[in-house]
Amino acid sequence: MSYEINDVKTAINPGKGMSYHVHDIRAEMKRLEEEGEIKIGHIIGPYKEEEVMYGIKKKIPLDMHYQHKSCGQCANLPGVPRSNFYYRDKLGIKYYNDMQQTSCTAWNYHASGLGNLVQLGAVAARNWHRAYEEGYNFTIHCVTSFGNYLEMRHLLVGNKELRDEVKKILAKLGRELVIPEEIVHDSEIAYALRDKILANADPKRLEGIKGLVGVEHYGCHFFKQVSDDIIGGKRPIVVGGLASTLGVQMEEYSKWFMCCGFGFRHILVNREFTRSAQNIKLKAIKDEVDPDMILVNCTGCGTTFDKTQWIQKAVGEDYHYPVIFYSQLAALALGAHPFKEAGLNFHVTPVEPLLDKMGIAYN
Amino acid sequence: MSEEAKNPITEKIESTKGGHFYKEIMKDFRIKESLHGCLNCGTCVANCPAAAFYDYSPREVCQMMIEGDEETIEEYMKSKIWNCAQCFSCKYRCPKENSAADIVMTMREIAVREGLAAEALAGYTRIAKLVLTRGNQLAPDMLSPDAFPDWGPRMIELSSKKMEMREELFKGFPGMNVVDRAWAAEDFTIYEMQRIWEESGALEKVGTVFPFLVDIVQDDMDDKKEEMEAKIEAKKAKLAAAGK
Repeated sequence: MSYEINDVKTAINPGKGMSYHVHDIRAEMKRLEEEGEIKIGHIIGPYKEEEVMYGIKKKIPLDMHYQHKSCGQCANLPGVPRSNFYYRDKLGIKYYNDMQQTSCTAWNYHASGLGNLVQLGAVAARNWHRAYEEGYNFTIHCVTSFGNYLEMRHLLVGNKELRDEVKKILAKLGRELVIPEEIVHDSEIAYALRDKILANADPKRLEGIKGLVGVEHYGCHFFKQVSDDIIGGKRPIVVGGLASTLGVQMEEYSKWFMCCGFGFRHILVNREFTRSAQNIKLKAIKDEVDPDMILVNCTGCGTTFDKTQWIQKAVGEDYHYPVIFYSQLAALALGAHPFKEAGLNFHVTPVEPLLDKMGIAYN
Repeated sequence: MSEEAKNPITEKIESTKGGHFYKEIMKDFRIKESLHGCLNCGTCVANCPAAAFYDYSPREVCQMMIEGDEETIEEYMKSKIWNCAQCFSCKYRCPKENSAADIVMTMREIAVREGLAAEALAGYTRIAKLVLTRGNQLAPDMLSPDAFPDWGPRMIELSSKKMEMREELFKGFPGMNVVDRAWAAEDFTIYEMQRIWEESGALEKVGTVFPFLVDIVQDDMDDKKEEMEAKIEAKKAKLAAAGK
């Protein structure tokens, strides 16, 4: 081996380059704002502080939500964005569904290598600027967009060269670099609002939810790509936290950490990998818990779990676990029609047995 | 973060190793944050879903970069990098805070740029076209049952009813009930996205794999250029006025 033992300080204080390590991104953003290098899209309206890694408080905006939609959800699991709108309508939260939003293009990037950091950074900053110019807090439906925007924030704050390139492009579009004060995933918001959701829930629906057994799976880009800025620290809690507040009995399983097998490119062109990885996860879930449902917060994982259970018959397995997003559960609790308002009829793995158990009519 | 980053691992190997691909990878500033030495502990491999099923190893990715082993790097550049699931489990678990997933991402970018990705990206045309002409990455129309036979019989039923189902679901939500894209992003928005790809050099890179796509995008941009640039000029004036 031809390397030297690393200097510990390098890992902690990485200097000018980008960093995923221990440093205060918020303090650095404040410094850059004071120097006129960037603008910060400050939180508008009420917020709730939740703890992330190292005891840092993350401000979760409770109103005025710019809805950064997920292309995968809108195309494939449209009940998820519809549920995201539904729970806001029920709780009286103002939101903005923008047709001037683009995809973050991170699925494309991670799958194909097409694109580059300047392009990803400029696409991120253009969407951030949309929320800023419309006067809303930037909130994100998709886990890959969330991971990508956390990464882009780190890169744009930590690397001046990249920042300058992105700012040049933004200027050509009549826009400026406005980094949101907080990068917030929608499941973090639903978690922060869990008591309000419970308080506004339909008692009959809560009766049906009470005692259901659930397991949770989190998207890798939610907590592994940049793992120091999610509620709860390195082991995510938001989906299970919301579900247990609503009465679901959450259970652990040994393969909770493992990737679902989505793989970005694999789901398109190498699905034998996706199916194999799924079988490992599903087998652990079945053998160790055999729950009523699998609860998720990620577009890719929701797709993979929902679409890859039927084919497991090919290896002699019979899985039948409804895949429910945190916001679909919230919407159901608040009284949503399971098909017309929560879009559960778009799921391939049947949800009807779960709805029967919950006492919710669907036809 | 005001001083230049020092990473003794990357700085030492950068000055002593050779090889074309190695040098190209080392030019990416992310490498300094992705490689901090390696204990060879194998924690990354134990947590890697790709390593479970393919001839791929995140430990080997870090080792080959530390060694500057051009032969292995080339092997990865030509095919093995496409096995990584980009789940970042390696990064999350590594006691040295390495990120093989980030190194792989740098390598994928280079593979595309250097014309090594044609085979890996075969079958990817529709996604690339959608990103560049519609402003988003996925459309209900792309999820046809014949493309996903392993998703089961219910996909066939869903596919035949999706128009009515979406209409019912998105009643009162303009722009959401579309099937040729994820949502109805405005023409101006798509134009801005295309400008970003053009200005960042990413569109040129697309041309190394899908040259016809660059022509489609440029024709599309030319068709609406005058109107869209006028809108951009108006935005610039508004921004300048707000600045004063």
